[in-house]
Amino acid sequence: MASLGALSAVSVPAAPVLAADAAPNPWFDPSYVTDNWDTIVGHLGQHVRLTVGAVLLGALIALPLALLARRTRFLAGPVLGLSSIVYTIPSLAMFAFLAPFTGSLSATTVLVGLTLYTLVILVRNFLAGLQGVPADVREAARGMGYGSARLFLRVDLPLALPAFMAGLRIATVSTVALVTVGVITGNGGLGQLIVGGLNANFYRAEIVTGAVGCVLLALVADVLLAGLERLLTPWTRAAR
Amino acid sequence: MHSRARILVPLALTGLLLTACGESGSSGTGGAEASGGSASGDACAPVAGEQLVVLEDDQRLQNADNVVPAVNMATAMANPALLPALDAVSAALTTEELIELNAAVDLERQSAEDVAAAWVEENVDAATLEQGSGPVVVGGSNFTESTILANVYADVLGAAGFDASVREVGNRELYLPALISGSEIQVFPEYLSTVTDELNELTNGPTDDGPATGDVQETRTALQPLAEQAGLVFGEPSEAADQNAFAVTQALADELGVATLSELADACGDGSLVLGGPTECPERPQCQPGLEETYGLQFADFRELDAGGPLTKAALQQGEVSIGLVFSSDGALAQQG
Repeated sequence: MASLGALSAVSVPAAPVLAADAAPNPWFDPSYVTDNWDTIVGHLGQHVRLTVGAVLLGALIALPLALLARRTRFLAGPVLGLSSIVYTIPSLAMFAFLAPFTGSLSATTVLVGLTLYTLVILVRNFLAGLQGVPADVREAARGMGYGSARLFLRVDLPLALPAFMAGLRIATVSTVALVTVGVITGNGGLGQLIVGGLNANFYRAEIVTGAVGCVLLALVADVLLAGLERLLTPWTRAAR
Repeated sequence: MHSRARILVPLALTGLLLTACGESGSSGTGGAEASGGSASGDACAPVAGEQLVVLEDDQRLQNADNVVPAVNMATAMANPALLPALDAVSAALTTEELIELNAAVDLERQSAEDVAAAWVEENVDAATLEQGSGPVVVGGSNFTESTILANVYADVLGAAGFDASVREVGNRELYLPALISGSEIQVFPEYLSTVTDELNELTNGPTDDGPATGDVQETRTALQPLAEQAGLVFGEPSEAADQNAFAVTQALADELGVATLSELADACGDGSLVLGGPTECPERPQCQPGLEETYGLQFADFRELDAGGPLTKAALQQGEVSIGLVFSSDGALAQQG
């Protein structure tokens, strides 16, 4: 015990107080953030990487699926249904199912799970966007000799872009929240702080840092995507 | 003595206040509190107090969950200096020290890294360690004690020449396979009985009753073949244990003059004890039924609280339960004053 005398002597209170209140435990504590800046930034970086990775991968998978569902009408039901069913798998169970294949501790487990979850939002929004492109416009473009690649890039994409971006924004915000569940593999981004704080006798400053960090990250990501949408669709502003 | 008086005076005041509250009568044991501990029939009614003490589990009702280093077998074979360095931690670590380490992080809000480094500095003589080399990753779960122990292991391995780092992991179901494969983590601060039963389930399928017992050596012997089969090597179990334990307030322990559960059973034959614990306690063999059968304790009442969490500790301190389930290395058990 002598070894720890120096550590504990500093803050042992003179009068007995409840153990949980032995040290002040404020909800907001700037010194927690400054003292643990490197840890917080590390978790934040992982949170951003997982979110960006999952949404990008999700978009890459969702786009062909949406195109396929539009082209072959009878596939639309199964594609949408399947992505919805995947979404209903609880995230805790999802990571547990994936772990044996993707590695128990690797961030890949979380990335794959999150990607699957983005599909339900992205496929639906992408398909809605594509179906919103007027058939006569596409007919006219074909008549002008547009091939299918050019038709997609010059006609479908610009007209469906607002629906695409809406899907990406919802998927991004929901993924920011879902990353925290990755805690069960040790790759939960800011979720590590939330669970770590809960397990350290309710360290409120740590819990709040994780939670507020998630909220801010979601807001920033949404604002950035909204800005990107404005940049990509200048004609929507000119029309107003 | 000086520090003791400092605790006792406010304690007496708290007691008086609670007595007053008890008379106005919201709690079921209010009457018992009011008449104090001397009358027969309520000798073991709750007594409020800040300082909690664990009563020794002298009949070994609880499984021995001593801290024990788990190492991937291939890593241990390739680095003969690794296990001796971790055993040096086991040799030096006691439950009291583990409580102090947890209290420094959970109550005083120091960082786990600093607390671990200070302990290693004080308790492990780096000069006596066999030297090794190469990278080693120590896993730690996302709770205070595991994080501290992972940092202690990493610091000691660092002192022994290894390039050691700590990696935060999640649930045991996920990190145990990773430790067995050894590709992502190679060392983990485990708990003897828990890991024995877990490895037993991995090897032999789910059972109701695992091979772990309240005896450290017995459990160690049961663990040996399971570990070999899984591809793990375990170091020496330390004296420090984080297992289910039953705590009372120091005030009640002093009043009754008890230090073990057997002594408590002798002192509380009148059935005035109030037990606090998790919802499942009245059914679990190592909780209420175990206390009744192994120790012959009789309870006047059971209060549904939590598993060694803030509810149980507050209920003990505020005199709502006489005895409650806690974890033996909880920082809240640190000696105050």
